[in-house]
Amino acid sequence: MMDFIQTALLAPLEQLGRQILAVLPNVLAAIIIMGLGFMVAWGLGHGVERLLRVVRLDHLCDRLGVNAALARGGVKSDPSYIIGRVAYWAVVLFAVIAGLGALNLQPINQFSQSLLAYIPHVLIAGVILMAGYLLSNFMSQGVLIAAVNAGLPPARLIASLSRWGVQLFALAMALEELGIAASVVVVGFGITFGGVVFATCLAFGLGAKDLAKDYLERTLSNRGNDRTPDDLRHL
Amino acid sequence: MGSDQVTSHGAQPIKSTVPLTEETEARLSDVGEAEILVGIPSYNNVDTIGHVVRAVSAGLAKYFPGRRAVLVNSDGGSSDGTSEAVSQAIVDYGALLISDQQSPLQKIITPYHGIPGKGSAFRTIFEIARRVNAKACAVVDSDLRSITPEWIELLLRPILEEGYDYVAPYYLRHKYDGTITNSIVYPLTRTLYGQRIRQPIGGDFGFSGQLTEHYLDQHVWESDVARFGIDIWMTTEAVASGARVCQSFLGAKIHNPKDPSSDLSAMLMQVLGAVFALMESHHGVWSGVQGSNAVKLYGFQYEVGVEPINVNVDRMIALFRQGLADLAPIWEQALGKETVAKLSPLSSASISDFRISDDLWVRVVYEAALAYHQRRMPREHLIKSLTPLYLGRTATFVLETQGLTTMEAEKRIEQLCGVFESSKPYLVERWTPEPR
Repeated sequence: MMDFIQTALLAPLEQLGRQILAVLPNVLAAIIIMGLGFMVAWGLGHGVERLLRVVRLDHLCDRLGVNAALARGGVKSDPSYIIGRVAYWAVVLFAVIAGLGALNLQPINQFSQSLLAYIPHVLIAGVILMAGYLLSNFMSQGVLIAAVNAGLPPARLIASLSRWGVQLFALAMALEELGIAASVVVVGFGITFGGVVFATCLAFGLGAKDLAKDYLERTLSNRGNDRTPDDLRHL
Repeated sequence: MGSDQVTSHGAQPIKSTVPLTEETEARLSDVGEAEILVGIPSYNNVDTIGHVVRAVSAGLAKYFPGRRAVLVNSDGGSSDGTSEAVSQAIVDYGALLISDQQSPLQKIITPYHGIPGKGSAFRTIFEIARRVNAKACAVVDSDLRSITPEWIELLLRPILEEGYDYVAPYYLRHKYDGTITNSIVYPLTRTLYGQRIRQPIGGDFGFSGQLTEHYLDQHVWESDVARFGIDIWMTTEAVASGARVCQSFLGAKIHNPKDPSSDLSAMLMQVLGAVFALMESHHGVWSGVQGSNAVKLYGFQYEVGVEPINVNVDRMIALFRQGLADLAPIWEQALGKETVAKLSPLSSASISDFRISDDLWVRVVYEAALAYHQRRMPREHLIKSLTPLYLGRTATFVLETQGLTTMEAEKRIEQLCGVFESSKPYLVERWTPEPR
């Protein structure tokens, strides 16, 4: 009976105890790493937010039109707060990955490594999207001003097309960087962009052929002078 | 110009700061020193430059026969034979009744280095003026058709005999000729620096050797000044540095039409960009200036018929209205919502009632200067977005002065200048020395 208890009950319990004792330091290490990580994340998040407020990032973003875009997207927080939160969650993510790594479990290790390897792609995609957004705002504003100064009635439409074109291009680049259906994105973008250009050419050639003819004649034969609307000499 | 404000010619060896070609260096050795220098910047001006060179040569021979003079053509790489036209231009002095030509005119034809543009051409002319130790210099455009020998006397004699440092041109112009000058540059420059220089961006100037040194010492030659904006820069630097300034009446200015590809918004960008940038660098000078003083005008003034100018007011108002409809958010960001709100009623006003008042226009210009300084938006976008506003103001001026003579229209411009001057405290109060 004692042998039975020894082999059937106590031995497995002893085995379990040994396993728990072996894993316990790793678990403790994971808890400590994650705890410290959360504290660092909290400090860094608030530090970054305060620093950005000191350097008046919100004011700069306001001038660049980022705040207005965020408001249009239903985001009521200001950019300093958002970047502070991003910093917080980035550190939390690293702490969790490091903590799980401390458990030294094979599947979790593999997952952590692949997650870490993917993070640079996410960051690059984020930078591409942000740069694309800022560039699209700058370009559409310049296009709008140029189109109004040229007296083109659909100035706002032209400016919107330029904005969406740049943003679409940035989105395609970001998705390709993330490896999400890369070939579909490239082909899809190529077809869409080519289609837009083709449609524009057709629309201009068919719908405004007189305007196109007039423009080409003036450009190629340099007889723009005799079509000027008045003789004002501004300087 | 006080001697404490500029580097004067002294016993110290003159160092070359602007690269010159070997041929130019050799030519300079041959020429030695000269009392007078006349510079002509050029780029593909074979049609007109011969006339300009002949007028300059005759002017120097007729009015300054005893003084050693040099003519400098600073060329931007013309491919149409401009340089040959300069070297081959010959004056029949006998036909001009000039008999006592004591000092033959020396010519230096040189390419310029640096950023392509009139400013770089002028820099080379200034450097040669420094090297030949010129006491008085003048620059004239190479596309002039109305230049006469008298222009040379009028641009140089105030420097040589009256002790002036800078001579600005004073032209007879049609009331609708030079509308950027009339509605912005003249009133604003006069208000800022307190000197009533009627044509601050005329293009033909006289200046002293001391002022040449001052120009060369400024670190602007890699900036936009080297490309464009050199005219307003020269005038503003002269006034801001305390130089003695006068004007000379040159009659009508007739020149080849500008490159048609240079559109209105690009012109505004060049001129207003330079004016606003100079406001930043000379804030210490203009912020304390109140009112303005008349500037001495030399030369015999006369009336002359000027070329008629066709103006399409409907088109200008249509462009203004499109700007109001499409660019209102940009204008609000740059000029403030209050200013744009005052413009809004003009979207539905009839053409006979269409007016951008002096007060509102001055507010627009001052807010634009503040927006440029405070970088409320990209500077190029800011200035180019003002094009419809400028056209609206020009339409207002045309509507108000339709039946008036040029002299009566001039009084209307003086009225606008008065509003600019009385509103200056608004600008001074809001201008922070350092951009936010």
